Amino acid sequence: MTATTQTAKTGGAKRAAKPKASDAVKRENRTGWAFMAPFGILFALVFILPIVWAIYSSFFRQVTTGGGAYGGGELVNKFVGFQNFQYVITSGAFWAGVGRVVLYTLVQVPVMIIAALALAMLIDSYIVKHITAFRLSYFLPYAIPGVVASIIWVYLYNGQISPIVKGLAALGIKVDFFADNVVLGSMANITTWTFTGYNMLIFLAALQAIPHDLYEAARIDGANGFQIAMKIKLPNVRAAALLAMLLSIVGTIQLFNEPQVMSISDPSISKSYTPMMMALNTSQGTLTPGGDGPASAVAIVMALIAGVLAVVYTLVERKVNAE
Amino acid sequence: MVSHNKRLVAALAAVAAMGMGLAGCGSDTANTDSSDGGKVTITYMHRLPDSEGMTLVNDIVAKWNKEHPDIQVKATKFDGKASEMIKKLETDVKSGEAPDLAQVGYAELPEVFTKGLLQDVTQYAEQYKDHFASGPYSLVQVDGKAYGLPQDTGPLVYFYNKAEFEKLGITEVPKTQSEFIEAAKKAAAAGKYIMSYQPDEAGNMISGLAGASGGWYKVKGSSWVVNTETDGSKATADFYQQLLDAKAATTNPRWDPSFDASIKDGSLIGTVAAAWEAPLFMTSSGGTGSGEWQVAQLGDWFGNGGKTGPDGGSAVAVLKNSKHPKEAMEFLDWFNTQVPDLVSQGLVPAATTEDAETPSEWSTFFGGQDIMKEFKTANNNMGDFTYMPGFSAVAAKMNETAAKATDGSGKVADIFSDAQTTSVDTLKNLGLSVSE
Repeated sequence: MTATTQTAKTGGAKRAAKPKASDAVKRENRTGWAFMAPFGILFALVFILPIVWAIYSSFFRQVTTGGGAYGGGELVNKFVGFQNFQYVITSGAFWAGVGRVVLYTLVQVPVMIIAALALAMLIDSYIVKHITAFRLSYFLPYAIPGVVASIIWVYLYNGQISPIVKGLAALGIKVDFFADNVVLGSMANITTWTFTGYNMLIFLAALQAIPHDLYEAARIDGANGFQIAMKIKLPNVRAAALLAMLLSIVGTIQLFNEPQVMSISDPSISKSYTPMMMALNTSQGTLTPGGDGPASAVAIVMALIAGVLAVVYTLVERKVNAE
Repeated sequence: MVSHNKRLVAALAAVAAMGMGLAGCGSDTANTDSSDGGKVTITYMHRLPDSEGMTLVNDIVAKWNKEHPDIQVKATKFDGKASEMIKKLETDVKSGEAPDLAQVGYAELPEVFTKGLLQDVTQYAEQYKDHFASGPYSLVQVDGKAYGLPQDTGPLVYFYNKAEFEKLGITEVPKTQSEFIEAAKKAAAAGKYIMSYQPDEAGNMISGLAGASGGWYKVKGSSWVVNTETDGSKATADFYQQLLDAKAATTNPRWDPSFDASIKDGSLIGTVAAAWEAPLFMTSSGGTGSGEWQVAQLGDWFGNGGKTGPDGGSAVAVLKNSKHPKEAMEFLDWFNTQVPDLVSQGLVPAATTEDAETPSEWSTFFGGQDIMKEFKTANNNMGDFTYMPGFSAVAAKMNETAAKATDGSGKVADIFSDAQTTSVDTLKNLGLSVSE
């Protein structure tokens, strides 16, 4: 639709003077939109449409209306206005879940980013030989799907079969990776293990884009390696750090694989441990109220919270940068 | 203009092709109405194990297909949990692509009915009624109407390693609660456990144990009367609490590798289990104690007076938009009475048309015992326990609370008080009436 109107506008203005050029512009526009089409159509179908549908269904609840003890064998989509949102916002379980992911993000993301930055600096420095091998081996955990990584780690955490737990026990150290106040840390460890290498690559790319003349100039001025790292490299990867932080925040807010897999070994990890688990289990009816309506409301409220957090982070970052 | 049109056509074709690709995603189990020339196709979705050494569902179905060219059946296995399968069926029914037949656990049947996924097949079920035990047959009914046929049952029994028991000087399976706890303490002192407390199975198993002496959910008029804190529940809570306090039971979740490890290293030598667990238990054990294990009936440990309760067991139900319920039921009756084949899948068949025999590998593991006979005894000794719609939310909550009792941050009795509140909430949220 937009294609035609836009073509008409630009074409119309130029038609009087250069009718030929207008045809060319028209064709160009059309070609542009044609190139956009594969992306545009898929984007609309698998991204925009589901979001619109989720928003729509969040105003409904699936209830029985048939009466009797079993409700007549039919669930009806009942319009409930903002009742689902009211449920989510007043749900203690939801906010407990939000609290967990926020705490998780506050601790895990800085640790991971600093580790990634340190590794990238190390690889980028002149100290390290065989860069390719290191780069690959740091990145390797990212190639393992999140669920599989979680399964491997759950095995390593498991009190009865883990070589780590058994080894430490032999040294007289008793650890329980599933203890109530440790379990979140155990999850953070899985995420850190998986994504540090990935973030390192972002930093490494930024580091290698720094012109090497800067280093030479600094050396001539008498700067040593550490000074170069702190005064030249660090300021230059700020943009990369912002990107890596944002991606990580968005990722950790959606924390799902780790707790889901770990709940097999530790059933006290509840069905609403994180908001994303709560959304899935609500839609499957293992939490009540169940169904797509309340589940969509959980997802939407969480998306809003994540959006707000991301914007706040960007603003703070910008302000700090400006100073 | 010509070129323009050509391009338009090409673009449309591309979009159409994409649409086809997307449409293809969900239509694997489509209820294809291929009634050309009287031939119908029935689709059937199950969650049977289909493991090595079993008679595969597809092989059983192939036998039927060979003899019935007019009713062709296509079976698909759903790899995933029951709650995930229900979600899939729910979506499939909405989009008109659901299979004709689907496996539904007895605990989930009222829920699946309430969700509007089932078709009333009472008129076809009547003629097959005599082929099945009456208890399971009634569990496929809601409000007196039938929605499918029962496949297997899951009475709770006790698995124990007789040789290990004798080594500990426990000459027979304890009969009363106090005897059991005494024996458990004695075993624990020697580093052995004669009971497992399985937090991830609390919703299925502990509800069954507590329900052996009387149900939780009753219908009065058209509303629900919920009482999950019955005398049976109190006795069950008391039993496990004492064992946990004395550290005389393992607390590994059933489906965690640590549970298997506890059998393999010989520390777990007795546990309550559902009958269908026999082959799974054999796999879990890795052969440890083969020939020494036995199956016994539950003692009076849970205020159950020698009765047992259900844990699992499934029916196969006819789904709402099946266009061939008559043919589907005809196949289903045949399938659910293929007793030896179903036994090979680890099931205790609900069919009464033929005596189920204990497979030889099972009796090797269980010391030559005819364990199928024990399962049948347990089956006939099962208390009435009906489930409410939305029970999966209750079971999930019970598991979570049960896990808190393992590290002392909660009590076993909390399982039942949480079950009460979750049950009432769930019923209300479904729009059903609850009398309190």
